[in-house]
Amino acid sequence: MKTATLALGLLFAASGAAAATVPDCSLVPGWEQSGPARAYEADNLFEYMDGNAEGYLIYGFVSMRGVTCTSGGDSILIDISEMTDADAAYGIFASNRDPNRPVAAIGMGGQMTPRRASFAKGKFYVELAANPDKDHTAALQAFVAALEKRLEGRSTPPDALGWFPPDGLVSARLIPESVLGLRALKRGYVAQYSESKAFIVMEDSPESASAVLQKLRARFADATDAKVADEAFQAKDQYLGGLCVFRKGKCLGGYANTADASAAASLSIGLAARIP
Amino acid sequence: METKSSRRDFLSLGLALPVAGVASSLGVREKAEFSPTTPHPASGIPLAYRPLGRTGLKVTSVGFGCMITSDASVIERAADLGITYFDTARGYQHGNNERMVGAALKRKRKDVVLSTKSGAGTKAGALGDLETSLRELGTDYIDVWYLHGKDSPAEVPDELFEAQRIAKQQGKIRFAGVSTHEVKTMVPFLVEKRAIDVVLLTYNFSMGHGLDAAIDLAYKSGLGVVAMKVMAGGFRKTKPSDPLYPKLRKEGTLLAALKWVLRNPSVATTIPSMTDMDQLDENLKAMAQPYTRDEEKLLTAQLERIAPLYCRMCGECRGTCAKGLPVADMLRYLTYADGYGQFALAREKYRELPRELAEVRCGDCEQCTVRCPYGVHVTARLARAQELLA
Repeated sequence: MKTATLALGLLFAASGAAAATVPDCSLVPGWEQSGPARAYEADNLFEYMDGNAEGYLIYGFVSMRGVTCTSGGDSILIDISEMTDADAAYGIFASNRDPNRPVAAIGMGGQMTPRRASFAKGKFYVELAANPDKDHTAALQAFVAALEKRLEGRSTPPDALGWFPPDGLVSARLIPESVLGLRALKRGYVAQYSESKAFIVMEDSPESASAVLQKLRARFADATDAKVADEAFQAKDQYLGGLCVFRKGKCLGGYANTADASAAASLSIGLAARIP
Repeated sequence: METKSSRRDFLSLGLALPVAGVASSLGVREKAEFSPTTPHPASGIPLAYRPLGRTGLKVTSVGFGCMITSDASVIERAADLGITYFDTARGYQHGNNERMVGAALKRKRKDVVLSTKSGAGTKAGALGDLETSLRELGTDYIDVWYLHGKDSPAEVPDELFEAQRIAKQQGKIRFAGVSTHEVKTMVPFLVEKRAIDVVLLTYNFSMGHGLDAAIDLAYKSGLGVVAMKVMAGGFRKTKPSDPLYPKLRKEGTLLAALKWVLRNPSVATTIPSMTDMDQLDENLKAMAQPYTRDEEKLLTAQLERIAPLYCRMCGECRGTCAKGLPVADMLRYLTYADGYGQFALAREKYRELPRELAEVRCGDCEQCTVRCPYGVHVTARLARAQELLA
């Protein structure tokens, strides 16, 4: 155990920022490390979370460092995953969070229950799980506060999330690939509303965004022009319901699953107005 | 090591066989049958159905792994097009996946076979998971309920089988299963145990003939065989900087991998991950089109990609290390970790090295004196072994 901990320590000693990504039980008085530290890369993550690794990889998982801390008969498992960027870290947090519980103001966003805590800050996604079955809130809060302070990076949610109209918003998250189940919409944000969903996808340029829009339009046989932002179409689809896709600069956005195509277009006007 | 020798079996066959000989290098079954198809009454899509072991269920040979699916519309459409097998797990996206899958299949619940999994280690934990799964999936029964990711007999105490038996008695599950990546170890154990109906196992083209015997044993014993990781995972990891990226990412490569698995008639169904409509449309073709030589070439290209990474353990390294490192051994240890997923074994073996050798860092040498006749990047791989295992 000591060898593994020492090896990890040496590996990251060169960089203070990197060292911050290695969880440390001594962050909270009274807790000490139990067993060796954990270190996983994309190639061997499956060994740790057999069956669930792909869910991390799709969000741009880079590496994970973890420890198990104990105090008396209690234990808290802490894992810090480094993702490719802050968007991806927020994305996996939003994907894994319980939508029935509120998001707490921890880093870019977090969630805390009596036995679990998770949050995203910068490009890091942090998970804590406590045992045995009882209320561990105080200890979890102490670790979360210490870890949040230690990790560098962005502390506010991705800008695009603020562009979705707040009225009736149920949840919003990053979809790492194939937004709305459409391959042409490679990566973007989807906001779930009670009766519809909105999406925002950033392309590299207005030209590439326009090309994607035309490609999508060709997919829907009954697509017609819609007057939204720079260019747009509306359509009705068996699975996506009323649908509107618009382009504003290099940004693609729109609504799906509305009652009809015109409703999607109307809602899209509001969304387009909120995109800078 | 023993349990994942399939990849080693393949590697020992040689990756550099000429195209004319690649069929055997990929372990294609000479007597593989192409399942007849039936057009789906509503969609008209030709579908192939296979019996799921002794369960009495017939499932489409292409199923749907829902783990990374983000949009319910893809699952909903797959069910409309006639796919009948859908797989999720309690642990996927902390339960959010089950909720999405349940909502997507609500209209079609009676027409599909729905499987989920519990990773719990105790009877009480598993039964608790089952109740949660039923609630989140919005159903009062699970067709196949797996014990999730059990890679050694020690991970499956009798109380877990007991949980499955109780759940069956209560009508909450129809059939019991186990999912595993350690096929050679677990299939004989599960066959002997006679406690389950379906086994979900890792199986793909990188394994060649390595798992044939275990899969046939499962099939002949009446277990329904469901294949996962059928795309070998490697395609998703291929980066644009990889010289083979255009070849491996081009349309049809994933389909080839799926078809390779379906060549094995002992496999009842497969659960490829699908995130979009295009992928769904492509995967459906696996039931209607035969496996071709062009597809064989594509899969060979993917295997070529891993050639610089994986030691074949031939012991034919050219030259010796100036610092005395046992190069072949160290590459073998790394292959345990990277190739077979035996990280603990790799680390254990590495730590058996004498201290003075364990402390050598290949980055300190200007030039490596060892070469691999098969193209393994020796210096880079040794450096990775030192970083990963030291």
